[in-house]
Amino acid sequence: MLHLSFLKQFTRLAIGSAKVQPLNSKNICTTAVLPFKISDQLWAEPMKKKKKMDPAIVKAREERRRKKIEKQIRRLEKNAKQLKPIDELEPPLHVLDNLNTRKRIPVVLSPAEVEARALLNKEWCRYKRQEYMANVAQVDRIMRAQKRALDQLYEVSEDLYNEAIMPDLQLIPYSIVGPYATPPIKNYDSPDGEYIDVSKKWGN
Amino acid sequence: MFLKRILNTEIFLSQRVFSRANSSWDVVTGVCVERLPVVTPPLNEIQKKYKEFLWTVEVENSLKSDHELRHENDKKQAEILKRESAEVDLDAVSKITAQDFEDSATEEFAQFKFASIETEADKKGDKSTHDRCLQRHLILVTEQKLGSDVKNILPHGQWKEGETLRQTAERVLQEKCGPGLKVDFLSNAPCGFYKYKYPTAVEGKIGAKVFFYYANYKGGDVNFKAKSNWLTRKEMTEVLPDRYNKAIREFLIEETY
Repeated sequence: MLHLSFLKQFTRLAIGSAKVQPLNSKNICTTAVLPFKISDQLWAEPMKKKKKMDPAIVKAREERRRKKIEKQIRRLEKNAKQLKPIDELEPPLHVLDNLNTRKRIPVVLSPAEVEARALLNKEWCRYKRQEYMANVAQVDRIMRAQKRALDQLYEVSEDLYNEAIMPDLQLIPYSIVGPYATPPIKNYDSPDGEYIDVSKKWGN
Repeated sequence: MFLKRILNTEIFLSQRVFSRANSSWDVVTGVCVERLPVVTPPLNEIQKKYKEFLWTVEVENSLKSDHELRHENDKKQAEILKRESAEVDLDAVSKITAQDFEDSATEEFAQFKFASIETEADKKGDKSTHDRCLQRHLILVTEQKLGSDVKNILPHGQWKEGETLRQTAERVLQEKCGPGLKVDFLSNAPCGFYKYKYPTAVEGKIGAKVFFYYANYKGGDVNFKAKSNWLTRKEMTEVLPDRYNKAIREFLIEETY
């Protein structure tokens, strides 16, 4: 550093004589420093000139931004109260329009028919109760079998018992499919229907 | 009184520890692989009747559909056409009626062939494949050597030191049925228990305690060397030894038809 500034000093001194000489002249110079020029060190980019803005425009811009945010907040608040409608639960308008033409002629049941229906309902009730009781008994039986197996295991070895009653985390989450009404057709190439996504976007 | 109770529990504990120490029973794991029904079971008499009843009530309470309205409209149009046969509205005639649509739909439906509930194996009476008796639960039964005689029972194997019973079950199934068979074990705990005595004591053991593990069939095939059969509940009673069958039935779902 020092050395450079030292040189600079000399250049300054030399410039005066250099200017006098024409540039293209082949000069044999006595001062070795003459062809070198050292620019000032700045250590940073030169400062840009600050643009002066109209304070009114700045104010307006600020205002606009604030309004935009306010609007967003208002919309969010409004949506918070508004629940997402379930289209399936609302009767379609074209059905509501001609509701009267869609009504069927009310069926008049004979007393015998009414009686038969009531009896069938009762029979069904009894059947379902039986089924339920059988199910409960079945679950009891299966649980009893497992209890017995675990008790026997405890007698054989406590370590094995402790391992056996550990929860099986691989089972969670558990999902199961079937049974179906008809068996699957092997190698069936299912025809693809057209798929149009009509779901609406909610929120924001 | 108090002392007596303490004494009693002490005796009980020591007995148990003692009995464990020189256990004269082999610990064996059996695996019960079940294929769940693929197709829903047939409806019985009352179920059919009630289903029909619910359907009629449903129709009685419903509104007319678009298709029905269209059909009625078609009828009206036809009558008008008949009356004013001189002036035939060509647009109305060339239109496809609701009846036509219905007919073509029925035809298309009739052309579609559903897969038969009766599979190839059902026709041949082949029990070695899981693709049979689609409406029933099937249990995997293999031939196992028990001492000197061979018996048809669930795949089973002896517990080895250092593994849990669940690991034994998984190992046994792979050893007996090959790695091709994929199953889901449903618990770490055994679901059933069975105990039997050897005819003569083997290496100081007088019998075996069998712990059953339950698994659901997921995919793949059993190694044909295992000589396995997939049996329905009814066939199980015929094939399996009586007491063994009862022990297994204890933890299986009973079929109602």
